[in-house]
Amino acid sequence: MIGSGIKRGTAELAVLSVLQEGPLHGYELARRIEQQTNGALHFTLAALYPMLYRMEQQRWIRGSWETSRNGRRRRCYRLTPGGKKKLAPLRREWAELFRALHRLTKVAHA
Amino acid sequence: MPDWQKLVGQRLAGLALGAAEKQEIYTELAGHLEESYECLRAEGLADQEAIHRTLAQVADWRDLQRRIIIAKKTEDPMQNRLHQLWIPGFLTLTLSTIFLMTLQIHGYQPRIISWNGPDTILLYVPWLLSLPLFGGLGAYLSQRAGSPGSRVLLASIFPVLSLAACLFVILPVSFIVDAHVEHRIRMASFLRSFFEWVLVPGAALLAGGLPVQFFLSRRLASRRTAVD
Repeated sequence: MIGSGIKRGTAELAVLSVLQEGPLHGYELARRIEQQTNGALHFTLAALYPMLYRMEQQRWIRGSWETSRNGRRRRCYRLTPGGKKKLAPLRREWAELFRALHRLTKVAHA
Repeated sequence: MPDWQKLVGQRLAGLALGAAEKQEIYTELAGHLEESYECLRAEGLADQEAIHRTLAQVADWRDLQRRIIIAKKTEDPMQNRLHQLWIPGFLTLTLSTIFLMTLQIHGYQPRIISWNGPDTILLYVPWLLSLPLFGGLGAYLSQRAGSPGSRVLLASIFPVLSLAACLFVILPVSFIVDAHVEHRIRMASFLRSFFEWVLVPGAALLAGGLPVQFFLSRRLASRRTAVD
């Protein structure tokens, strides 16, 4: 079973990475992550918003209300400079972890 | 199609946030549910099935409510440290220093405790008696900002931590400046100062900080139990 710390770390990395491509509202953000990971990462409403609010409080992302062409009000999230700064070490840490796991599994199969 | 805004408002009615902030959350979550529903309908699902699948995104609304409140109250770690340690600590330091200076300006003489001939220690008794109050104030402000217990105690003894830091800077400097003074005398002087300005005032500050921390953390724990 994947621990909550690892889950939270991957979720944060996913959100920050996708927002680096441009601002998105919550629903679109969840869809984009699901599409880009071929369904491996799936965010329900209950999982997504508490995380977005926490990341906003930590000033990694910023939300602002925008009105779409069909008149619907949506809160769009964009990456802040603090979020960009957070993303680089987060990526490095996860890359290191995956490399380590890869090495470990290769040894286990040998 | 359900009125999503109303539905979210009913299920998250207990969100302990400001009215405007609460309304924004309702609007945002309702928008998300509405888009999920429309997407499922566009995929060809029947109305009831689409509603069922949309609502299945939230298994426990009370848990979601709790997690939103926690998330909204998460602060930047730097801000946290500022409010939980630096502000209460510097306030405690400033107030206790002003009080000590006031005593000295008004000519109050320290109590001299002597033992073994020339060995004496100086204690400003009224200042020491005031320290539990300042320690308690530091602990209260720190705890109110949501500090963990260890940080509450650090904030309450902050004045003596800064004095200890000064003493530890002065000691090596004295080796250079007063090179002719015997090490034994220098160390005795250091230990005496440490006792007068760090250990005794530290105990006095803790005498105020510990009960406040204990009392407030118990009150907080009982409040949490009541909410759960």
